[in-house]
Amino acid sequence: MRKTKLPKPRFRGSLLSRYLLLILIALLFIPVLFPASVIGYQVVQNMAIGNALPDAGIQPEERYQTIHLEKMWHNEAKRLKGSTPEEIDRRLRELSEEYAKVDMFWVDADSHVRQPAGGRLHLPETWDAADAISYMKRYRGATQQFSVIAFIGDDEKLNRGFMVMQVSKAAIGPRDGGLSARESMVFFGIILLMFVLFIIVSWMFFMNMRRRLLRLQSAMTVQDGSGLPDPIAVRKSDEIGQLEAAFNGMVDRLDRSLKREREEEELRKRLIANLSHDLRTPLTVVRSHVYSLQKEQLSERGQELLKLTETKLGDLAGLIDNLLSYNLLTSGKYTLHPERIDVLRIVRESAAAWYPLWEKEGFEADIDLPEGPVYWMLDAQWFRRILDNLFQNVVRHARSGQYIGIRTATDAAGGLAIVIADKGKGMQASSGDKGAGIGLAIVGFLTREMGLGMEIRSAEGGTSVMISPAAGDEPGLKLR
Amino acid sequence: MGIHLLYIEDDAEIGTWVNDDLKGRGYEVTWLQNGERAVDHAAGCRLVILDVMLPGLDGFTVGQRLKKAYPDLPILMLSARTSIDDKLEGLQFADDYVTKPFHPDELAARIEVLLRRSGSYSSEALALGHLLVYERENRIMNKDTGEEIVLTGKQFQIFMYLLRHLGQILTKEQIYEGVWGDPYLDGDKTLMVHIRYLREKLERDPANPEIIETIRGVGYRVKA
Repeated sequence: MRKTKLPKPRFRGSLLSRYLLLILIALLFIPVLFPASVIGYQVVQNMAIGNALPDAGIQPEERYQTIHLEKMWHNEAKRLKGSTPEEIDRRLRELSEEYAKVDMFWVDADSHVRQPAGGRLHLPETWDAADAISYMKRYRGATQQFSVIAFIGDDEKLNRGFMVMQVSKAAIGPRDGGLSARESMVFFGIILLMFVLFIIVSWMFFMNMRRRLLRLQSAMTVQDGSGLPDPIAVRKSDEIGQLEAAFNGMVDRLDRSLKREREEEELRKRLIANLSHDLRTPLTVVRSHVYSLQKEQLSERGQELLKLTETKLGDLAGLIDNLLSYNLLTSGKYTLHPERIDVLRIVRESAAAWYPLWEKEGFEADIDLPEGPVYWMLDAQWFRRILDNLFQNVVRHARSGQYIGIRTATDAAGGLAIVIADKGKGMQASSGDKGAGIGLAIVGFLTREMGLGMEIRSAEGGTSVMISPAAGDEPGLKLR
Repeated sequence: MGIHLLYIEDDAEIGTWVNDDLKGRGYEVTWLQNGERAVDHAAGCRLVILDVMLPGLDGFTVGQRLKKAYPDLPILMLSARTSIDDKLEGLQFADDYVTKPFHPDELAARIEVLLRRSGSYSSEALALGHLLVYERENRIMNKDTGEEIVLTGKQFQIFMYLLRHLGQILTKEQIYEGVWGDPYLDGDKTLMVHIRYLREKLERDPANPEIIETIRGVGYRVKA
């Protein structure tokens, strides 16, 4: 068997490469994608805060972010470098108006505690080291409070005092130290989106593969008029594309071999048709000479031989006839025209045509058919041909029985069947008269095509052929 | 002068043989080796024997032309081709069909049947057993008694139908449909009644008919 070499698909664009890419993405999910998304998120957030001005461009809620508060407080402290205590008081008052939830106060260089008007904190008049320690103990360690302490000018060495802000963590919400509900939703949303994206991409990958395989499958099952599948359009050069190309190659080769086979079949049939015509004409001539010879004065032996020759000529003619018929029948040249026909009438008419020959051959014709019509769906022409062949076989091959019986019987299904019987030596017996085969093959072909059942029983005492509308299930010699 | 037949056959050997054989049987034969001028020669002929395989115009075309020119002229197709569709195609205009190789007796018998069926048979009396039938004069004589046998219209039609198919076995359906022109109905006893009366008039012994033979299980026949 010759093997057709197909080019190997390139790695790029192959299914393998695409599958590996998918696997790689799946593997990178945990060690790379998660951390990357976390880092990315934080970078973006920090950039947003870093760029924001304290009182502009920042949403009111974002003002209370601890990271923002801390930055703002240190910035304010730096800006108040060199300010008079009154200026500091004023600025703090402004700030405490701006950040209503935040409590703030400052301690000047002389350790006087100064709180903007309306301050909610209970503070000592002066601030000594002990106060500082006790404050730190009270607030810095407390988990419910967030506080920031900055030196004025944001420089300890200036010794201008320090400013303190504190806010309850409940006031600034859960975002303190972690992510807000919205932020975590966005974060998990992104992760989920990536998962879904991955699933969709994988699903599409396999669905695409599946779709193409199904297309190939349906292309293989769908047939055009010639019984061959149509070629398929090759769109990609990957593995399935290669399969499609190979499939097309196969269809093409099948198509060519089918065409060749048809041509050979056509040639064979034409040959048989021509041959049988060409044989028949000289056969007629030979026969005419035999006939003329019979009129001559011949010895008894001569007459006997001549008679034998004539019989053999008849057989030969019949054989050619059958050969041609079989040839024409199997080439599908005849279309079946079934009609509701009285089968007994056709049998009677056919028997009437054959009767003189039976008489001449000295056959006992035992014809017993009921009166009433029996309707079968038949092509009359075809059914006559079946009977002709069966009668001819009886005359040719069951001559020794000198009997032909045509009667009806009940078939296995309880319906009426036509039986043609002889008392010859049986089909197994070598009568020296070959050639029943092709006649029976024609009968077999015609009965099959008309949906009739045929059952042949042959023994040494004779042969009977039963034809019925339904295929008989009883044991017996059956044709293919 | 014998009956004039037109015979169209291209094969010289077969043609010579058939021509001689038919002439030997008392027919006058015009033998053409192609069908080109068949219609011209058909004038005055009683029957055409036509081969299917002809050079130039094929037998079917020639047959159709002949039938067009002479619708009542019986045509007997003679061919080396046997196939169901050839038979169908031929029989659309042909009256009968004989395939090669044929026996000259068979051909002669078919010619006789066709001539009889077309009603163009001789004015001579046809002898059937003890009967003499004058077909042209619609007269049947009993040789034994020398009397004329008078049949009713239907009896005569049935007998003539059987005579036109002399030697052929006809089923009840064929006779009924041929004479009455209606489709045969199951269980119709009309024909059997007519046959019985016909036999009473024609046969020497109606219980053992010799003229109208019963072929058991098949039908009836008038033997030549």
